[in-house]
Amino acid sequence: MRRITLGTTARVIGVLIVLGVAVFPLYWMFVTSLTSNGNLFGKGAQLLPDLTRIGEYADALVGGNVPIWLLNSLVIAAGTCVLSVGLGIPLGYALSRFSFRGKAFAGVGLFLTQMLPEALLVVPLFALFRQLHLLNSLGGLILVDTAFVLPIVAFILRGAIDGIPRELEEAARVDGCRPFSVLMRVNLPLIAPTVAAAAVISFFSGWNEYVFAVTFISDPTMQPTSVGVSGFIGELTTPLQTVMTVSVMYTLPAVVFYLFAQKYVVSGMTAGAVKG
Amino acid sequence: MTSVLKDEALDTVKVPIARRARSPLGSKWTPYLFMAPAALYLLFFQGYPLLRELWLSFTKTSLLNPTDNVWVGVDNFAKIFSSPDFQHTLLTTLIYVVIVVVGTLAAGLGVALLMNGNFRGRGIARALIAIPWAAPAVAVALIATWMLNSQYGIVNRFLNAVGLGVHGGSILDSTAYALPAILVTTIWELFPFVAVVLLSALQSVPKDVQESAMMDGAGVLWSFRVVTWPVIRPTIGLLALLMTIWSIRRFELIWLMTQGGPIGATNTLVIDLYSRAFQLNDLGTAAAVGMVGVVISLFVVTANNFISRRAEKENMR
Repeated sequence: MRRITLGTTARVIGVLIVLGVAVFPLYWMFVTSLTSNGNLFGKGAQLLPDLTRIGEYADALVGGNVPIWLLNSLVIAAGTCVLSVGLGIPLGYALSRFSFRGKAFAGVGLFLTQMLPEALLVVPLFALFRQLHLLNSLGGLILVDTAFVLPIVAFILRGAIDGIPRELEEAARVDGCRPFSVLMRVNLPLIAPTVAAAAVISFFSGWNEYVFAVTFISDPTMQPTSVGVSGFIGELTTPLQTVMTVSVMYTLPAVVFYLFAQKYVVSGMTAGAVKG
Repeated sequence: MTSVLKDEALDTVKVPIARRARSPLGSKWTPYLFMAPAALYLLFFQGYPLLRELWLSFTKTSLLNPTDNVWVGVDNFAKIFSSPDFQHTLLTTLIYVVIVVVGTLAAGLGVALLMNGNFRGRGIARALIAIPWAAPAVAVALIATWMLNSQYGIVNRFLNAVGLGVHGGSILDSTAYALPAILVTTIWELFPFVAVVLLSALQSVPKDVQESAMMDGAGVLWSFRVVTWPVIRPTIGLLALLMTIWSIRRFELIWLMTQGGPIGATNTLVIDLYSRAFQLNDLGTAAAVGMVGVVISLFVVTANNFISRRAEKENMR
């Protein structure tokens, strides 16, 4: 009887090839940031980073706009994180624990907001923010970034609260706790890892966001890194090494934290779409 | 927070203790109070803009003065639908979405099946595979643009070395190669998400059933169809929906790599909308394009619901 089975060696080789494809472009970003001009534009490609040039990274952080960009990204990301988790916890709790009129409607509404592409709303939001004088402000970006990540955060937290036995809450209630303090004292400590994951997700959705930032911000000192670094494309005065150095500094935190929160990100993204 | 506590305080005054104990969830208003902040927030920043976009799509409005709107009825829609350029945009969007969905699902499923076994370093491999998806889209666009650089990019250096070089090397400036290059970049960015989700779905495939099917002489393909496929099919459906929606909305990658060019070769709906609004200053027509996008998205979601319900019914039979 002939059976086609994948031998372990073949499997490992396959996995290595896939990993090579997955990791290579980001490796290349790092190599480029540490390559001399002569080698970048020479005849052959330099395939390994020149680690003696690591000082480029310190140089990029001194002077220029790079520190301001990174700081702006940090402010936007932190604000989005705090606001969306703050709003998402009570929403997730209401959707998980209560049955009330309009619940189905709320669920469908939340699902649809998650399905609507953000770029489709950039035009009316631009008009609205102009009236509210929220263009050119980090606060404005926090408000709009939160609107797009809040549904995902709420779905993730609802899923986690679904997993807590109701008996725990009832015991607390018999002891005289009110619904809000039940949520704060009983539920939140139990879902702390999920709250942390939701915080990571919302933080990096603010960190990564581009379309609203590039549209709403014209003042160079208000730009986040996504807009600042993309401004290098097609511009010829900045050395390519600097562009890639900033890109690495911008990419690395996102990659490291996603690896940490990967499990929750995946289940959250899919839970929202399944249950909505 | 204070409003919740206040409501509870009133409750205590009005309702005797015994009844409170019987309804441990608080008053019937409690869930609404929990929901209210987020609901009002989303109504203001998502619901209201959506209605405003609908209104804008029936007006002539300039970017320079967004509050000065002249009602023009369905003119904007008539204009875009009669334009061959917009028909081309719809076609480009369709091609982009279909190839991304099929490509990411095929690549992701292949990788998930490959990695769904026991080998050394499995944990590390599963973590590393997610890297393309975790990187910010702007960074992906930057590195892809550099790698595709016509003279010094690594892709052209490689293609020239194996004798497959594109003439002049200008991939992103070529009407023939720009869209394929963007498709490859998009699939590279998204296949890890599909692979990771499918890998976790594959964990619920009953191993013993699979083994006994193999014992009974079933080939790998047959046992995949009979044992594995039914388990992962709902997940595949869900991923197809997510990939479709994410492809319709993809902006950064295309905008930064080609701005929809050359000569509209990569002009998807979202890119078209953006350049109409912020390069041609025409908010009315851009809003009309946006509403077409909204309708397409809603259609996709509805169609997906319909298909997955029918699949569920068939499974029950």
